Amino acid sequence: MTLAIETTDLSKRYGKKVVVNSVSFKVKPGEVYALVGPNGAGKTTVIRLVTGLAFPSSGKVSLLGLDPHEKPMVRRKLGAVVEAPAAFYPYLTGQENLQLHAKLAGDVSQERIQDVLEMMGLSEAKATKTGVYSLGMRQRLGVAAAMLTKPEVLILDEPASGMDPLSLHLVHTVLQEAAQEGAAVLLSTHHLDEVVAYCSSVGIMEEGRLIDEVDIAARRERYRAKVSDALKAQQILRGQDFIKQVGTRGDNVIFTLSHPYALSNVVGVLTTQGINVLGLGPDVFNLRAYYQDRLSTSKQDSSRQESAVA
Amino acid sequence: MLKLSSIEFSKLFHLISLRFSLIALILFPLLWAYAPGIFTVYGFFIVSGYQVPALSLLSSMEFLLPLIVAVASAELLGLELSHGTLPTILLRPVTRSQWLLAKILVAMLYPFALLAFLFLISLAAGVFYGYGAFAGGTGVGMGGLLGQGTLSAGAALVELGRAYIMAALSLVPISLLAILFTVIFMNAAGGALATLAVLISMKLLIVFPSLEPYLLTSQLNAYVSPIGNLNITVALIALYAAIFAACSVILFERKDF
Repeated sequence: MTLAIETTDLSKRYGKKVVVNSVSFKVKPGEVYALVGPNGAGKTTVIRLVTGLAFPSSGKVSLLGLDPHEKPMVRRKLGAVVEAPAAFYPYLTGQENLQLHAKLAGDVSQERIQDVLEMMGLSEAKATKTGVYSLGMRQRLGVAAAMLTKPEVLILDEPASGMDPLSLHLVHTVLQEAAQEGAAVLLSTHHLDEVVAYCSSVGIMEEGRLIDEVDIAARRERYRAKVSDALKAQQILRGQDFIKQVGTRGDNVIFTLSHPYALSNVVGVLTTQGINVLGLGPDVFNLRAYYQDRLSTSKQDSSRQESAVA
Repeated sequence: MLKLSSIEFSKLFHLISLRFSLIALILFPLLWAYAPGIFTVYGFFIVSGYQVPALSLLSSMEFLLPLIVAVASAELLGLELSHGTLPTILLRPVTRSQWLLAKILVAMLYPFALLAFLFLISLAAGVFYGYGAFAGGTGVGMGGLLGQGTLSAGAALVELGRAYIMAALSLVPISLLAILFTVIFMNAAGGALATLAVLISMKLLIVFPSLEPYLLTSQLNAYVSPIGNLNITVALIALYAAIFAACSVILFERKDF
């Protein structure tokens, strides 16, 4: 299967300042990849490099197997919002702005324009000039413009910034549905709690580097059982054919199942072996806590290295 | 390309500078046509409606028209930067050079549209003096405003038409220079100011007589030049325009957004 997005050792320097440092990641069709990190971490630059708006100092980018700089027509399959808030001609209405985008994109029907306006809750505001749109409305129109061509790749830079909770939910729902229909989605965001609910992977960036990648989809399949003896429970479960992976965390045994209906077997096998099961449920991943922990660890590593050099 | 150019041409009507330019170009011929002190200052009377377009051209080509053209062309690109729409457009399946060439085409047509407007307004402003044959000259033909005997209406129109077309043509490189500087500075004000700075500096270079015929600013007088010199003038204008357009496209292709 052709990867929808692939970056290999992607770097960008402005003079001596390294803004993006050797970033590599892959996004398959149907996946949602979220880039998170503090302001100035390099997320926006990565997005501009991937969309072909900026040129890498070194490394490679490919969209659906093609370099967007060498083959700009690959953008026929790309929908993107790279400005936060999304930028439009203020003297045109929302609908006129989309019509202009449709002309540039080609093969977009009037029905599709109405569909995306309705999808983003902008039908009533479509005849209003975008100059008077609120921040959230412009962001929603940006997502509508990105969705115009039913893209195979969606790339969005902070698509939900400045939005009210309902609009925020709407945007994330639209992105989730696009991924379910097979589009690859790359987005940068600060909304960790929203994206963790549906994204496939999270890339954590700091100071231009991709310091960690978290496979959220795999973590979503994990279960956690609080038991009287975690190590013994791990040994028992390791030999069972309905268990794919098993490990421990404190008093908990963490495992993935070969079949979701096998959860009741876990309780059965543990209790028959004399292990008390005190609690059982999905191993909910706390991305926010993980993110904070990862950033502080990274900072400590950096200061240690600086001290060693000194 | 045609689709792109039509989209870009429609944006022309939203330029802020265009509104001010049109007001200036409406007022200018009216002021010249009915200025009470014109004889005292310049020593002649307007005797024909055909002299008003010539006077408008003679007075505005010195500074006003180059300024208007430079500002509008810089704004044509600068507007995309100030609205933040440039990256959004470049994400559509059009190449950077296609898009910039569409802008360049509009910038090239702009001086012609502007001068056509000035010509019509000036002609209308001279209605009081009539449009028949007259003793004198249009101001842009042989003998200047005094002329060489009687000039027919047809001959006057031909002289004016040729002068206006040459004037528009000589403004094209200025328009493209403004595009080039806007690409370099990624800012409309910077683009317009740099263009004006170059024009003013070039005007000072007339102290080098061997350079003078080849200067961009010297071509601005092409509309009153003898017909025999036109081929060289047109070739120089085309060369300047081609260099500015090519440099703009090359630089734009490698810009980060």
